[in-house]
Amino acid sequence: MAGVLSPEVQDRKASEKAADVHISVRNVEKVYRSQRGSVVALENVSLDVAKGEFVSILGPSGCGKSTLLKCIAGLEPLSGGEIFVSRQRVAEPPKDLGVVFQRDILFDWRTVLDNVLVTVEFLGLKRRGYEARARSLLTTYGLAGYENRYPWELSGGQRQRVAICRAMVHDPQFLLMDEPFGALDALTRDELNLELQNRWFADRKTIIFITHGIAEAVFLSDRVIVMGRNPGRIIADVKIDLPRPRGVALRDTPAFTAYTGRMRAIMDDANAGITHAGVLS
Amino acid sequence: MSDKVRDRLSGLAWVLAIFLAIAAVWEAAVKFFGVPLFILPPIEDVVTEFFSSPALFLRNAAFTVATAVGGFAIALIVGLLLSVMIVSSRLLERIFMTLLAVMHSIPKVALAPLFVIWLGTGFEPKLAIAAMMAVLVVVVDTVAGMRSVDPEMLNLARVAHASPLSVLLKIRFPAALPQIFAAMKAAISLSVVGAIVGEYVGGQSGLGYVIIVAQGSFDTPRAFAAVLLLSIIATALFYLVVWAESLFIPWHVSQRPRATG
Repeated sequence: MAGVLSPEVQDRKASEKAADVHISVRNVEKVYRSQRGSVVALENVSLDVAKGEFVSILGPSGCGKSTLLKCIAGLEPLSGGEIFVSRQRVAEPPKDLGVVFQRDILFDWRTVLDNVLVTVEFLGLKRRGYEARARSLLTTYGLAGYENRYPWELSGGQRQRVAICRAMVHDPQFLLMDEPFGALDALTRDELNLELQNRWFADRKTIIFITHGIAEAVFLSDRVIVMGRNPGRIIADVKIDLPRPRGVALRDTPAFTAYTGRMRAIMDDANAGITHAGVLS
Repeated sequence: MSDKVRDRLSGLAWVLAIFLAIAAVWEAAVKFFGVPLFILPPIEDVVTEFFSSPALFLRNAAFTVATAVGGFAIALIVGLLLSVMIVSSRLLERIFMTLLAVMHSIPKVALAPLFVIWLGTGFEPKLAIAAMMAVLVVVVDTVAGMRSVDPEMLNLARVAHASPLSVLLKIRFPAALPQIFAAMKAAISLSVVGAIVGEYVGGQSGLGYVIIVAQGSFDTPRAFAAVLLLSIIATALFYLVVWAESLFIPWHVSQRPRATG
């Protein structure tokens, strides 16, 4: 196993050395304390994400991946360690960030266009300057003609597309996505994965994408970080060396299935209690 | 004819049908059991009574409507302001919720005579009683609505560094609108009750006053004419709020066109 993992360790080291580190998570601990005792949600989590990199965080439910995302977004205080975004220490939500949550959480009382523009309003920017961008984003996501509809008139996939447009309307350089397609059916999910991949390839934002889908993680990412649970920690950091842009057909290639197979093995081993000590060192 | 219009017309038809059914049962019962006039007059006497002095009824009805609507408006404005304060501060929540609970436990009707001492026998005490009757339900429902906002929505606002004011205006208030309208439906009926109570205890105008005077002279048809008019007014006010609801929250589940077939 160590032989399989050592190149990944080298990859991680290499990315740490990269000058263009956008997000840096350093020895982060997160402990939830309650009357019934404390739960370690994150234990000694460290990772670096380069500018323009697409990184997935893959893990079973309860591994703390959503907690990690909330910490990076500045929505949860840390129990230990530090997080830097663009060299700024995260104490509150970083500027220049867009977040897509698992649920679309659209505002029922706003039209599609107004839902997208709410980010601009929250930021205290002038709506007029962003309306054209909002419309063109909606068009890229196949929602032209839906600008004045209300969220309840849309399908689940369309709603999540609106949420993505809302996260991107102010043109942030950094996107956090928390299982954004987890609640969608498999076909819609594939469709949105393809769109997201194309979009990312076109404008190279830094994206951290949380998922429990192995194929999704491999398909989208430059790197997949695998997390294990009890306590939540990083157990592997795998570079995905597949050509871009990627198409649906890639999923049936041996290279792709080799990656998914390896991910599956890492996750199964973690569940069986085998630690990948080499990765953590 | 659109579905909405048809829905509304059929709602109106239902109200009329129920009114007519009650009238028919009333008429039949009075005739069948030979009820004396001063206990329960037949409906035609009540209607005749109204048309014998329509100006008197309409003038007093206008006074009652003004009191009820004015009290309702005060309750709504004060209630919304209190709710905003309660939602924005733990300390204010403690203070106001306790005060409101205490106020709620006092039967407001028992306070009505005091309002006459404090504010006289004019319009003001009646307005105050009507507002007091209605304010609590507005606060309780609005606070509940503003509190039950999806926490992820608030996270979304935090990520975009939204100001507390824009969180209030763009998230909490619209999210609470369905509850606010539910409260308004209860509040409009309560403020009518408050207006009548105010008119019972002092002053010389309003349908409540008409009823009290009619009682003094055993003029049951007149009292019934006032009550009938009052119930028509209260129903109309209630449906006015329902109509406003359909204008203001067309996006809410309760207002969406029902799926057919």
